[in-house]
Amino acid sequence: MNRTLFYLVLAGVAVILQTLLLPLVMPGHYKPDLILILVVYLGLHEDPWRGGLLVYLMGCCFDGVAGTFPGLSGFFLLGLFLAVRGIVTRVNTESSPLLLLLVFAGTVLQVFLIAFALDFFSRTAGLWPQILRQLPLQLLLNILAAFVLLRLTVRLQRIFIPRRDLPGLRKLDSRYES
Amino acid sequence: MWDWWRKNRPLVLGCVLLLTALLWYSVSLKRQDETSFFENLVLRATGPVQVGLNRLIGGAADIWDHYLYLVDTVDDNQLLLEENRRLNAELVRSDEVRLENQRLHLLLDFKETQEIATLPARVIAEDASSWFRTVTIDKGGEHGVTEGMPVVVAEGVVGRVVRSSPRFSRVLLVTDASSAVASLLQGNRARGVCRGQGELLVFDFVLRQEDVNVGDRVVTSGMGGVFPKGLVIGEVNTVDRQEFGLFQVVSVRSAVDFSHLEEVLVLLRGRQ
Repeated sequence: MNRTLFYLVLAGVAVILQTLLLPLVMPGHYKPDLILILVVYLGLHEDPWRGGLLVYLMGCCFDGVAGTFPGLSGFFLLGLFLAVRGIVTRVNTESSPLLLLLVFAGTVLQVFLIAFALDFFSRTAGLWPQILRQLPLQLLLNILAAFVLLRLTVRLQRIFIPRRDLPGLRKLDSRYES
Repeated sequence: MWDWWRKNRPLVLGCVLLLTALLWYSVSLKRQDETSFFENLVLRATGPVQVGLNRLIGGAADIWDHYLYLVDTVDDNQLLLEENRRLNAELVRSDEVRLENQRLHLLLDFKETQEIATLPARVIAEDASSWFRTVTIDKGGEHGVTEGMPVVVAEGVVGRVVRSSPRFSRVLLVTDASSAVASLLQGNRARGVCRGQGELLVFDFVLRQEDVNVGDRVVTSGMGGVFPKGLVIGEVNTVDRQEFGLFQVVSVRSAVDFSHLEEVLVLLRGRQ
């Protein structure tokens, strides 16, 4: 329960950053997708049921502040979470570069799921060219944000709570990599 | 059978979960034009936080711009620079007030030319995603704002209200891919539909034989039922008249600078 609450607070902070702070410093409408990074992280460390429901709930809340399609974020975030869960037993989740790789692949998958959901189910046309134009910069921003967050979280944990493990953080700490 | 189920249970249940989410999204699309209870709740919950943080960030940015950034001074000139800094801050602040005054004057002049009742609102937050173009404003149902109302600035059309809670609303910008505005060229009255494309707009369904030139002004036609006739959308940016096909490809640059959107006017249609 505490962990679920912790993740929801993290998602809330991500939304505040994306709607208020990042638009002040980022040009145009570009901003790193911190929710996507959180979902990838959850996919690596949470069990399918609790994590899946949490991600879907986060997606539904995210729809209240992003886009105009109710249920869309819930759908693509859940799809992303399940995709990560699907491969988690086949990869070495203790490698931190894996998170960066999964953020890269997750961004591409997210674009595919959004375009699929909008093209097939809604009247929105012509989203593909816009998404494809934005994709390279979005990929770069997401990977950069994931890298910074990874380093920052590990450093903060070492400084402030060296004797405690944050959920899944130990696996992202480069000291434990071979 | 039992073995197959045990082996494939995660995959099957994952697919069922994903399909349920897709089904819910598909069902929700029927009520896309209304604000759902859940969205209302999210907007109510996030709105005050965004307003509070917006002020806090504005204040912090103000302190950073006007005070901290000027801290790096030579000791000998400390007193002089202190005075200089204070005067600079005053100057910047009064410049900010003057600029805001100019913007509000423009809005006021524009407001007086409108027959429809208008409501000024402040932009408090942007869309949380890079793929969509919406903004949140600090006016909602309590102030008479409902879904579908047009939102404008003195320069031209901003978008329309798509979600409304009692005190906050979300506005779909004309540059969003799901936005379409019935439009016409001011010069030759050629009709079409302006669709959002992120940074630019595309003026669809303009017949090949229509004479369209770069710089032509595009205005709302009033046919869509959302925007009143004659509001400026933007200017023609490029024209591509291909050899074949019924229509030409026309891109339009919006008259509004969406990266510096601070105050807007909501046209309260149905209220005089």
